[in-house]
Amino acid sequence: MLSAIAVCSVPMRSANALDSAVRAEAGVELDPAALAERIDQHLAARWKADKIEPAPAADDAEFLRRVYLDLAGKIPSVAEARAFLDDRDPQKRRKLVDHLLDRATFPAHFGRTLRDLMAPGATNNLQLQFLMPQFEAWLRLRLAADTPYDKLVGELLTFSSGAAPNVRANPFGGEPSPAVFYQFNEQRPENLAASTARIFLGVQVECAQCHNHPFARWKREEFWGFAAFFSAAGQQQNVFAPVADSSDRRGIQIPGTTTTVEPRLLDGSPPAWESGATKRATLARWLTAAENPLFARATANRLWWHFFGRGLVDPVDDMDEVNPPSHPEILDELARQLVYHQFDVKFLIRTITATQAYQLSSQTTHASQDDPQQFARMPLRSMTADQLIESLAQAAGLEPQPQNVRGAIVNPAGGRSQFMTRFADSGPSRTDYQATILQALTLMNGQLIADATSLTRSENLQAIVEAPFLDTPGRIETLFLATLTRRPSPDELATMQAHVDGADSADGRKQALADVFWALLNSAEFVLNH
Amino acid sequence: MDHSHRRPLLSRRDLMRLGATGVAGFSLSGWLESLADDAAASPARRCSCILLWMPGGPSQMDTFDLKPGHANGGPFKEIETSVPGVRISEHLPRLARQMEHVAIVRSMTSREGDHSRATYLLRTGYLQQGPIRYPALGSLVAKELGSDDSELPNFVSIAPFRAFNQAAYGPGFLGPQYAPLVVGDATVVVQQPNQAGDFGLKVDDLAAASGVTTEQADARLELWKSLEQGFISRRTTAAAIGHRTAYERAVKMMRSEAVQAFQLNDEPAALRDAYGRNRFGQGCLMARRLVERGVPFVEVNLTGAAGNPALGWDTHQNNFDSVRRLSEVLDPAWATLIEDLKSHGLLDTTLIVWMGEFGRTPRINPNNGRDHFPQAWTTVLAGGGIRGGQSIGRTSADGMTVEDRPVSVPDLLATVCTAIGVDPRKQNMSEVGRPIRIVDKDAKVVSEVLA
Repeated sequence: MLSAIAVCSVPMRSANALDSAVRAEAGVELDPAALAERIDQHLAARWKADKIEPAPAADDAEFLRRVYLDLAGKIPSVAEARAFLDDRDPQKRRKLVDHLLDRATFPAHFGRTLRDLMAPGATNNLQLQFLMPQFEAWLRLRLAADTPYDKLVGELLTFSSGAAPNVRANPFGGEPSPAVFYQFNEQRPENLAASTARIFLGVQVECAQCHNHPFARWKREEFWGFAAFFSAAGQQQNVFAPVADSSDRRGIQIPGTTTTVEPRLLDGSPPAWESGATKRATLARWLTAAENPLFARATANRLWWHFFGRGLVDPVDDMDEVNPPSHPEILDELARQLVYHQFDVKFLIRTITATQAYQLSSQTTHASQDDPQQFARMPLRSMTADQLIESLAQAAGLEPQPQNVRGAIVNPAGGRSQFMTRFADSGPSRTDYQATILQALTLMNGQLIADATSLTRSENLQAIVEAPFLDTPGRIETLFLATLTRRPSPDELATMQAHVDGADSADGRKQALADVFWALLNSAEFVLNH
Repeated sequence: MDHSHRRPLLSRRDLMRLGATGVAGFSLSGWLESLADDAAASPARRCSCILLWMPGGPSQMDTFDLKPGHANGGPFKEIETSVPGVRISEHLPRLARQMEHVAIVRSMTSREGDHSRATYLLRTGYLQQGPIRYPALGSLVAKELGSDDSELPNFVSIAPFRAFNQAAYGPGFLGPQYAPLVVGDATVVVQQPNQAGDFGLKVDDLAAASGVTTEQADARLELWKSLEQGFISRRTTAAAIGHRTAYERAVKMMRSEAVQAFQLNDEPAALRDAYGRNRFGQGCLMARRLVERGVPFVEVNLTGAAGNPALGWDTHQNNFDSVRRLSEVLDPAWATLIEDLKSHGLLDTTLIVWMGEFGRTPRINPNNGRDHFPQAWTTVLAGGGIRGGQSIGRTSADGMTVEDRPVSVPDLLATVCTAIGVDPRKQNMSEVGRPIRIVDKDAKVVSEVLA
């Protein structure tokens, strides 16, 4: 415990003066393969010490499906699956990652991922949902341009809008904009401060809003001092007012008291005001600085979470002295290398996906793998509603319905937004998946599945059932590839074939293939990222 | 509280018989039957709660806390009720005759005047801040009073309007097993009777897609079962098992007698008329049918009346016409619900809660409307667990402030919990590893409301 406190609190307190000893000891910039190897060494050393027997390596099919879901936000097509599975190139996994990072699906998927991180739940919020496409587009453009993460966050934190967005006149025609981050936080300094600390620094300070923090070091004055960066003179307490910034250095009055506190950084250091710089620009410069170890650590930790469903510090927004990382040395290395690589998110993605840890199977082979802190087996992760609907569309060859932004009032029961609403109730964490009854009903009996398994409406099913060059085992294999991204086992093939051959007519056999497709789409293996 | 008169609707033997004749459709071998046995063996049911949720924020000045003679009062008159001294709006005449079962809390006070924030506060008992996803009251009650293997979900939400704040309608950190079963999403405006006469009050996707025969559905489930077993045998984790459990519960519900609860056609036409042939009225009838079958928490949303916008209670304009129309929907439905529960012997064990996210400004604005007002407003409790025939607290003559017995939102929710036999101080573990009480520790039960 003592060492854990030292690990967390030292960087926090010396945030404005980079620990030069750490940098010297850190050595050099590593490439993804070298850093991945180092991570695997740390994990393996712990496995050995704790007598853990890790899961076997994921086979190509398992890796393929996982990496598509994590980087493209959907499963691969049959053609993509066949090409990869039949490829003999020993470098094909690394090459696939490079390919997926270059495709337009990466900024689209990571744009949604960051959208959900920065404004969680807002896609289903009546007052905000019509602004979300603008936010998503803003994020997507920056990811497509490989904007370093520190710059992206800096831009977000220094955003101000000249005029109020005229949402009533033109609700859907707006330019790409991060304004919704401010509206999501109701433009309240205390909400913006708490969100900023939680999302970008991985710390929860909001409890200190009302009283002194019971566990960590922040006092009420410190919280409001941090919130003061988000207060601007003459600011309206109105969600949809223009997003204002201010170059004054005024403090903020703690509500319900007569105390006014000056702007103050979370590490207690005085702000480095530059003449003419706004409050939030001053804050952003401190927050995203290479010298601020919290930012790099929180970013690395969140990226790790994206690929493992669990952070090195978990929960990811509770980087507190009493909640130390499971592998401090890995978090340190990742954070340090992220800084060396100028906050290049793709660098960390290449690294993490290259680790043996990421490429472990999700199959249970030994009870010692059950401790999630050991990363000795890939956990089963639930898909986001976006991943699920995109994957269903991919499997069935349905056109993914464009997000119906206007749908909230007119017809939210239709199409994607209904689906999004129903699948928004995912569990407390990605690795603690629990389906709801309503979700099961939707996938068993809903319109989307009816379309997907319709011999007349599902393009893919039609093609697989009609293809003259396929026999029944070939058709079943193709259905497996389209849904589970793998070929059936001999037993599975026999079961499915018996069902198809049991039909007494050509039409009956087609219908039986549709039944196979239905069962595959409803399986845990389809609906989970594993 | 006496629960002994509550008999399960179907005995274990009934269920077995239904299964044997195939009426309940348990044609799959193994797990389905064993679950059905468990359901039949579940213990006697306990208290229930019906939440009448009024999204948009109803005007207390024109329903339960009128100020006749004051400039803020508006045109509505007060009427006497069955309880001397307790007077309510002239547009709630039938409820007035049931007042001995009703307790009015006229001294609600909170600080949240924004739809989204206030909706979250009223429905979860907590402010939405930080990473903790607080569960809706319905999910909390479902966990405390529900049964894990019941045929019907333990939280049913009828015609919810979730767009203000979806999280306020969800199970939060309790997890999806406590999520509500939604019957008829109210964001779609269906106020006129549709062809089926059910006003869209149905469980989506409860039946197999059209064209899928029972044999085909069974065959599909057999194929599905083989895939599921293969996957779970290789990955024995909670996620994989949870997936199978959700499907088992869904299939069980699809094929159970209990889904008859959603078939309002079984009710006499005269009773359906009495509730009101509109979505809210029929929703209240469905709530009784669900409570009768042991569902511990049902909410019915009143979003609008015929000719009103979807959010009828958000009366920034044209307040009086809107509130009158809404009252004409609310009054027969609520009064009939009380009578109907009573005639089924359910009133003593069913608490009815009427509330929205806040009240409305006493001062009438230039558009003849009233705006958001959280400082002094009204909620109402009726039925079981409480002492009816009283009003609690008092607002000033102009309605602007609470003058007596202020009741906070946590106070109210702690009172609701206590009335139905849930300990509000009980803690659940949140997703951040911090225990969270069902209701905030500072909440004080309004003891004079309790029976």
